[in-house]
Amino acid sequence: MPFFEVNKLEKRYKDFTLSVSFTMEEGDFLTIMGPSGSGKSTLLSLIAGIEAPDSGTIMLGGRDITKERIQDRGIAMVFQDFSLFPSMNAERNIRFGMKEKDGKKQKELAEKLLELVGLSGYGKRSVSSLSGGEAQRVALARAIAAEPRMILFDEPLSALDPPMRKHLRSVIRSIHDSLGLTVIYVTHDTEEAFAISDSILVMNGGRSAAMKSAEELYRRPCDLFTAFFTGEGTAIPAHLIYENMEGSLFFRPEDATISEEALDPDAYPMHIILNDAEVVSADFAGAHYMLGLEYQGYPLLVETSVKPRKARVSVMILRQSVLNLE
Amino acid sequence: MDGGDDGKMRKGTGYYSLKAIPAVMLLLALFIIPIALTFSDAFKDGGDAILAVLRDDYTYHLLSFTLLESLLSAAISVLAALPFAAFYSRYSFPGRRAMLAFSQLSFTIPSILVVLGFVIWYGNNGYLNNILRTLMDVNHTPLSVLYSFKAIILAHAYLNFPVAFALITASWSTIPDSYENAAATLGSGRIRTFLMITLPSLRGAVASAFILIFLFCFSSFAIIMVLGGNPAYSTLEVEIYRRVHIDADLTGAAALSLFAFAVNAILLALTTPGRKAMRSERKERVLRKARGWRALEALLLSLLMLSFLLPPMVSIVIRAFYTRDGLFSLKAWEGIIGRGFGLIGHSLDALLISLIIGLVTALLSTSMASAIAMASAKRNSRLLPFVASLPMAAGSVTMGLGFIFVSSFISTRLELGGYALNVLFVIAAHLVIVLPFAVRTITPGARLIPDTLASASYTLGKGRGRTYRKVEKPLLSPYRRKAFAFSFALSLGEVNATLMLSSGNVETLPVLIYRLISSYDYQGAAALGTLLLLQALIVFAIGEAKGRKNAVL
Repeated sequence: MPFFEVNKLEKRYKDFTLSVSFTMEEGDFLTIMGPSGSGKSTLLSLIAGIEAPDSGTIMLGGRDITKERIQDRGIAMVFQDFSLFPSMNAERNIRFGMKEKDGKKQKELAEKLLELVGLSGYGKRSVSSLSGGEAQRVALARAIAAEPRMILFDEPLSALDPPMRKHLRSVIRSIHDSLGLTVIYVTHDTEEAFAISDSILVMNGGRSAAMKSAEELYRRPCDLFTAFFTGEGTAIPAHLIYENMEGSLFFRPEDATISEEALDPDAYPMHIILNDAEVVSADFAGAHYMLGLEYQGYPLLVETSVKPRKARVSVMILRQSVLNLE
Repeated sequence: MDGGDDGKMRKGTGYYSLKAIPAVMLLLALFIIPIALTFSDAFKDGGDAILAVLRDDYTYHLLSFTLLESLLSAAISVLAALPFAAFYSRYSFPGRRAMLAFSQLSFTIPSILVVLGFVIWYGNNGYLNNILRTLMDVNHTPLSVLYSFKAIILAHAYLNFPVAFALITASWSTIPDSYENAAATLGSGRIRTFLMITLPSLRGAVASAFILIFLFCFSSFAIIMVLGGNPAYSTLEVEIYRRVHIDADLTGAAALSLFAFAVNAILLALTTPGRKAMRSERKERVLRKARGWRALEALLLSLLMLSFLLPPMVSIVIRAFYTRDGLFSLKAWEGIIGRGFGLIGHSLDALLISLIIGLVTALLSTSMASAIAMASAKRNSRLLPFVASLPMAAGSVTMGLGFIFVSSFISTRLELGGYALNVLFVIAAHLVIVLPFAVRTITPGARLIPDTLASASYTLGKGRGRTYRKVEKPLLSPYRRKAFAFSFALSLGEVNATLMLSSGNVETLPVLIYRLISSYDYQGAAALGTLLLLQALIVFAIGEAKGRKNAVL
């Protein structure tokens, strides 16, 4: 039996229905990713118990917690807006949810947790004097202090600037690794999700579109939505290349290359050759150029190391990297 | 649908609703029972009294006069406040914050003190006329203000100009100057920018201030009673009081109060959208430092405001130590501490009972208002604020009349009576009058508390009660303190309902001041007025004390 299981969980609204199933093992770091309105935060609220589902079950450690009170679930949450209690200082916030009753031990534990999140000596600071990054680290320490069986993160870094986001995501991951926490982490940022997770659940329109490791999602997406949501790429009608094939052929920009000369397809059996593509744009992206091409009226995206000199080029796509998707 | 708020929620709204039920029930009981008894009296004898009120031309004369004085008072207060608000929301200068805080003080000044201050400062033998006589070297009265229509308007403007100034300045300070700068870069001049950009943004605040003052003046009582001094200047509320205490016509008074209630309810309904427009944004415009001519302008404007607001209050304090002939005397103070005869000899009793009534009223209203405000914020309810503002539809004189009926009902049916019961009636009347203000003071604070704070506490294993006590209640503290101070001040200064009920012998400080003014003992009234002013200042200081550490992020 898995450590955590969401089974046919449904929540119906007037114009939206959330319907999800998935499982996790103890100590997993799962990221839920999806566009705005896909149901990520609603799913998190249902797991935390802030909202009640219409049907389905949530099992944690072999126990059905679907109807349990928020307080009894043992699931802590770190919020996007930090939600630190303004009437308490940093230390008091951390001590708030501790199971330990002894005040002296509470203080020691709070100090240890502050050290763990890199904020030694911040205990007496008023929460209104903390920067966004500091506030979120106190919120993380507060969640850990409650000794939950699982921690939920609701877009915890989205209110922070990019360097702080990068730094804090590694702090969160290393604390997860050292304490063996079970984590569900919601974000809409692909780079963040790829960097931090063991596995990723992609949501679309209230349903789970895919759940795989970051690399598998990128390399082997199961549909066009997941393919485009997890990175850049090109989809062209399959019948353009294979006469009787339906759906679309999808490839990543780095799986294609260009030639300024016309190519003979028979000479390159491992590749799909598209001759006479027009160069529409060439954006310099630092390490490479991202070319926007047009082939028989369809846009293509190809990554190259040099900028083409000619207006029309040939494109070579590695056959084994091309996916047939719906 | 991230974070959608439809569907079944577990955010604990039931807990807050449950906590609010006793408060709402008590409010409804304290409002509905007196009003129902009043109206049932108005309808006895087949509603003859109502028909008489509706057919009587005098009713419409009263109504038109009440509307006229309210409209004029509100218009003058708001128009006078606009130029001051324009300057104060644009420039920073030494004393700006003090003047803004000073303008807030008027919220806690009882109307009876305005009456007293006006009599002593603007009276025919008042300080202002004495100064003018000396300056102009004449024997007659150079400035005859009191006991006229203009005295009513001036007193209303005195009490309400600071209200308009405070509300409009607060709103104006939140309009970012980037709008005006953008208009200027597009070639718009100052007047056009004001008319096209600034004024439309201010419309809500101006309308809100106007309506608030209009409604206050519509049910004004003590100012009309004393400073009008002429039956031609009678309002609906004054006439209800007159019918009870002079004509002993309770049924006629009940019928007229039903009419006044209907008019008030219509006015409240008509003005609700305007009041909704008053929404405080949490932005602030960048103030420019007043330098050179602007600094001089700041000084002149501040002096002008102080020269209007300070003399009546200062003259109360001075008059408390001087006889009519200008001789220094502590006679009034001796009277207060128990060595006086007549009315002034009741002072300590009046002070004590006022403090008791004020304290009980403030404690009850703060705790009831907290429960109502939290429930209304958590449920995002429109009904609860409406229910809480119901007593505003009935003027305080009407509420006082209602409690006369309750009192006579209880004493005849249940054969209960006595001083303690009368004090309870006064507390009940005060409670129902101050509660809407306490709810309005606390509700914005309750709405500022993010839902996620409670959710965070729940996910840390804490129950509803502990979450409210440890997480949410501390955030409400500054608002609760302000509501307590406000309720205490309103109760201590309440004269309308108390005077209506005072035939039941509960003599509070303002009622005693009113009686001393009526018996021309101005020094005694001024001495008690000084005490009342002192408490207003203390209460104001408590209410304004900053609670920064608990400020919601």
